[in-house]
Amino acid sequence: MRKTFRAITFLVAVAVLSACSPGSDKGTSDASNSPESQNTITVFAASSLTKSFTEIGKQFEAENPGLKVVFSFGASSTLAEQINSGAPADVFASASKKSMDSAAALIPNSKVFATNRVVVAYPVAKPLKEIADLNNPAIKWVQCDHQVPCGTAADAALTADGVTGTPVSLEPDVKSVTGKLTALEVDAAIIYATDVKSSGSDFAALEFSNQEKATTKYPIGVTLSAKSKAQAFVDFVFSGAGRKVLGQAGFGGLYTGG
Amino acid sequence: MAKQNPTVSPVITAVGFAGLLVVLLPVIALLSRVPWSNLASQLSSESSINAIRVSLITSVLAALISVLLGVPLAWYLARGPEAITKWLRPIVISPLVMPPTVAGLALLTLMGRNGLLGKFIYEQTGWAMPFTMAAVVLAGVFVGMPFLVLVVEAVFRQIPVELEEAAQTLGANPSRVFWRISFPLARGGVISGLVLAWARALGEFGATLTFAGSLPGVTRTLPMEVYVAMEVDPASAYSISAMLVVIAITVVFLLRSNLIKAFNGK
Repeated sequence: MRKTFRAITFLVAVAVLSACSPGSDKGTSDASNSPESQNTITVFAASSLTKSFTEIGKQFEAENPGLKVVFSFGASSTLAEQINSGAPADVFASASKKSMDSAAALIPNSKVFATNRVVVAYPVAKPLKEIADLNNPAIKWVQCDHQVPCGTAADAALTADGVTGTPVSLEPDVKSVTGKLTALEVDAAIIYATDVKSSGSDFAALEFSNQEKATTKYPIGVTLSAKSKAQAFVDFVFSGAGRKVLGQAGFGGLYTGG
Repeated sequence: MAKQNPTVSPVITAVGFAGLLVVLLPVIALLSRVPWSNLASQLSSESSINAIRVSLITSVLAALISVLLGVPLAWYLARGPEAITKWLRPIVISPLVMPPTVAGLALLTLMGRNGLLGKFIYEQTGWAMPFTMAAVVLAGVFVGMPFLVLVVEAVFRQIPVELEEAAQTLGANPSRVFWRISFPLARGGVISGLVLAWARALGEFGATLTFAGSLPGVTRTLPMEVYVAMEVDPASAYSISAMLVVIAITVVFLLRSNLIKAFNGK
């Protein structure tokens, strides 16, 4: 009886300890040996890429039978943090160079594939006249938190336009900001031009006067632990098909990857 | 009262301890990252102080409102006609198992500027609840009060009805019976419920973010500060987390006998 008990506690202890040892490399290499997961590419991408990358992923899968793309969309700063903590990403597409750089230890090479710019979006039914309306306390507006790329760009562009009013909330990612606007809980939101385009004809936007400050660059790169097929997805983003989807969504600065 | 337990099966014990580790190891791992030596300075940074202030104010208010509304509700559930209460009980308890973002969306559709009730209030007064401290409080009540109702109802049910009937025959009106007999007897449960509701409101994240947003000093609570700080200042995120873990464990430790009584009788 006592022996069984010892044997079982030992087994449980071993199982638990091996599970919590930092052997994520062992885990992934085991998993990536199976053909199933070798053909699944995990892409971490900025929230603002949700629509475009979902479409690009579909086209990529159609052109590459047998390959599967799985996405995790979120704030670039959050995704970089997750990658640094060992999240199993093969590809990272960030909404800013800064967030890409913070994961540079695991993604040594990255290339800019598109640009985007923040704008002041508002409901057509209750339009803003000028950027300075944001200084009016009766106008409720939201933006991304300061460390998120859309927030960094918003801060810079707002300062350049002399806005001193404060937002009613600093949201964790651009999807969350857009959600507050589409729910009509705010009168304006600092979001990307691409988000305005995808939220339909009920919303329009004012441009910031300093386009350079409002613009952010999107780098993409594969991680050191990425599966061999991961580069194919990156190449597809730079391809004509990829650029077409991004262009239609309103992204600018579409590089050919040359 | 210590009583002799039957022999414990070693297999069950081993599996049970594995279960214990699932809870214990993450907490130990978290505490191992906390910068204990400058914990005080981490917790006294401006952003931490702001979040502590917002969290304290809103969670205490949420707990008090939960008592104010929850005790009478628990009383009704314990003493009201079973035909009605059996339908009400699952509704009252449902926020406990509702995903917090869903709770936030529900509150937004009720109290938002375009919400069922919120639209009317906004049109009449120009005031909207989202992005205010009131929104954080309401989110706290929504997710916290069910805990209180659950505990207090269980305690009310243990009070012998004869006691209340006796008081009534002696001439006490129903509200006097409640205040002089039932409420004093249920006091332990009310305190447990109050603390549980407070702790739940303190920890709320999803509903608050969806419904109230996240502005430092106004609606950014401690859990949201942890989320933000993870990217900006991990040491501060670990420090705040340690504080919240200590609060959680203390709360449960202090309440353990009260809670066992509430659900076991005696």
